[in-house]
Amino acid sequence: MKKLISIIFLLYIAYQLFVVFYAIPFGTDEVRSKVGKFYLEHSPKDLQVANTVTSIVVNFRGFDTLGEVTVLFLASTALGSILFRRREVHTRLSHLRTSVEASSIVRVTGRILFPMIVLLGAYVFIHGHLTPGGGFQGGVIIATGFLFLLLAYRQFTIDHKTIMWVESLAGITFAGIGLVGIFMGKTFLENFLGVGKLNELISGGIIPLIYIAVGFKVAAELTGILDTILLISITVDETENQTEKNG
Amino acid sequence: MVAVNPIYYIALPLLFAFMLPILGKIYKGLIRIVPGILYAYLMVMSLYLLRQVNITGQPIIVEIAGWKAPWGINLIFDAFTGLIVTFITVLAFLVWMYSYRFKKVEFDNALKYFVLLMLVTVGSIGVVLTGDIFNQFVFLEITALSSYGLTAFYRGRDGAEAAFKYLLVGSLASTFILLGILLIYSQLGTLNMADIARNIHIMKPELKIMAFLLLFIGYGIEAEMFPMNGWAPDAYSQAPGPIGSVFASMTSKAGLYALIRLTFTLFDFSTVSKLLFVMGLLTLIFAEGIALRQEKIKRMLAYSSIGQIGLIMIAFSFNTYLGVFAGIFLMINHALIKSLLFFSASYLAYNSPKKYIKDIQGFGKYMPITAFMFGLGAFAIVGFPPFSGFWSKFYLLLAAAQKHYIVLIILILSVSLVELVYYLRVVHKLYFAEPTGEYEPHKPRWNGMLAMILLALVIIAIGVYPDLITHYIDRAAVMIMDKAQYIHNSLGL
Repeated sequence: MKKLISIIFLLYIAYQLFVVFYAIPFGTDEVRSKVGKFYLEHSPKDLQVANTVTSIVVNFRGFDTLGEVTVLFLASTALGSILFRRREVHTRLSHLRTSVEASSIVRVTGRILFPMIVLLGAYVFIHGHLTPGGGFQGGVIIATGFLFLLLAYRQFTIDHKTIMWVESLAGITFAGIGLVGIFMGKTFLENFLGVGKLNELISGGIIPLIYIAVGFKVAAELTGILDTILLISITVDETENQTEKNG
Repeated sequence: MVAVNPIYYIALPLLFAFMLPILGKIYKGLIRIVPGILYAYLMVMSLYLLRQVNITGQPIIVEIAGWKAPWGINLIFDAFTGLIVTFITVLAFLVWMYSYRFKKVEFDNALKYFVLLMLVTVGSIGVVLTGDIFNQFVFLEITALSSYGLTAFYRGRDGAEAAFKYLLVGSLASTFILLGILLIYSQLGTLNMADIARNIHIMKPELKIMAFLLLFIGYGIEAEMFPMNGWAPDAYSQAPGPIGSVFASMTSKAGLYALIRLTFTLFDFSTVSKLLFVMGLLTLIFAEGIALRQEKIKRMLAYSSIGQIGLIMIAFSFNTYLGVFAGIFLMINHALIKSLLFFSASYLAYNSPKKYIKDIQGFGKYMPITAFMFGLGAFAIVGFPPFSGFWSKFYLLLAAAQKHYIVLIILILSVSLVELVYYLRVVHKLYFAEPTGEYEPHKPRWNGMLAMILLALVIIAIGVYPDLITHYIDRAAVMIMDKAQYIHNSLGL
């Protein structure tokens, strides 16, 4: 009875939310976006950035992005705590990776594709101000490259020390570039370099620099998270196998 | 203005949080020293800026990335936000001092602790300072995520369970807040809070109510409002000792600030204060009732903390100058006194794994100063003179009397009686019960002692001479009530 009431209650809330959101014409011109129009106008004019999404993410609302990067940093830090993995367990279990070997097709393809995936990722974040994509997307692409290697080669391990260095340096770069703006007599995260010409690789001032730092940071963090989760799932598999054998 | 700038509250702790692993490589002690220097600097800067704001009467508005609001994000350091930020930095400094020697031998854990501590401060200060609702959401996420990490800090089963519970409820809160922001943006096309407040009347009523409810529930969860506060007692009791103080003075205050900004500035409903009143009353009664039955000391303090949040919500719901004044005073006192209680309680129950009240009975003999601090905190939070807690409760009753809420006055007084009962029970056990001898008392360190003594001195100083801060609270109360002034400050209209 209690469950029935809560289900009915939830359905009612869902219905109310649906009615409200269904009535909003998302994606059409009817959605009055005051700031949106401003951004579309000023991104190519003032910042010489062709990809307006990038100039919103890195410049107009760059402060949010700094926060989002921190959220990702925290997620990778906190994930380790919540899944309570210990360092000793990490070293003890690394040999388990060799127990399941991927097929040779996967291994060979992995080896060939990995550099290309990383290259594509780097291309995406370096051209973040010119073409669709940017630091977050490029970072995710690079992390999938590492995921491929982790799946193909069970003995492949990721050095968390390197990840920590990349994470730290990229974070310092982002916050540091922001602070340089203040010391140059401008505001935090304000552009202090020349903006160049629209549609050229070296343009947009600090925007590409920040997006490259974001790319590195996202790639390092997601790779770390994937490695943690993969290790946990292997651990769980192994304990299940052992209980089956014992039982 | 290079040396002082409100942006440093966010930029510097973030920079050093990213830098801390590298600094730890250079010299291990740096991970403890650097946060302290940073906190000391931020504290001094807050005191300076707050004085400046109060003398000139001009708030400090910081543009980010060189775009004026509403096109860009801005930070607003005015009499109200400045006061809260000042208290957050003061408490952050004291928490750092208290936990200076935390995990002295385990480098990795200590590193994680100080990184999370810096980020939880960044998050809660950001929530208070920002003038942009989406930015507030981002900072609330930072606060929440670092709190999950701190809750699961001891990688035991209970800690993981508490953190997971908190994570689920917190994610629900985030979803609601995001949906609420989405609704507002789809209608008004702006995310700046002042700009939203200026144009809220053109929103369709049914959408406005939905957006308000989504945000209210979301922020309410973060502020430990009834009935979405089941996560709080678990989180308080599983996190490391000093983090109880962080939850009481930063995490819940960030949610509470967002709730106050939502009801006082963003929306123009006239019945909002009634909703705030009812929720505050329910939170108060529910929490104090459960606190009475707690046998574990940290859970008792956690429920008492939730009760205080209820009291603060009631004070703000009066929507009068006196009510808001009392509410801000209560916020400050809650942060100060609850920190003292958590500091002393975690020393008292240091060696007892389950933290039962009976485990620490008779400890008044072994740890006279710590036990005295706990007793002082207990009397202060119940509202005895000459402690600061007296004045906030006094102003709350005054505000209620001004509104002729006789029943409420009786209720607040009887709830205080309940508080008195469960706090006195602990103090009585500390001094008059025979020790069980099961657990060894833990000798407090000098840094923890110093942090507690400083807190106690502040509590007594405000209690004896409330004029120390009433002037600042007065300005803050005027500021939060004046919506037009806020819009003017933020948008420069």
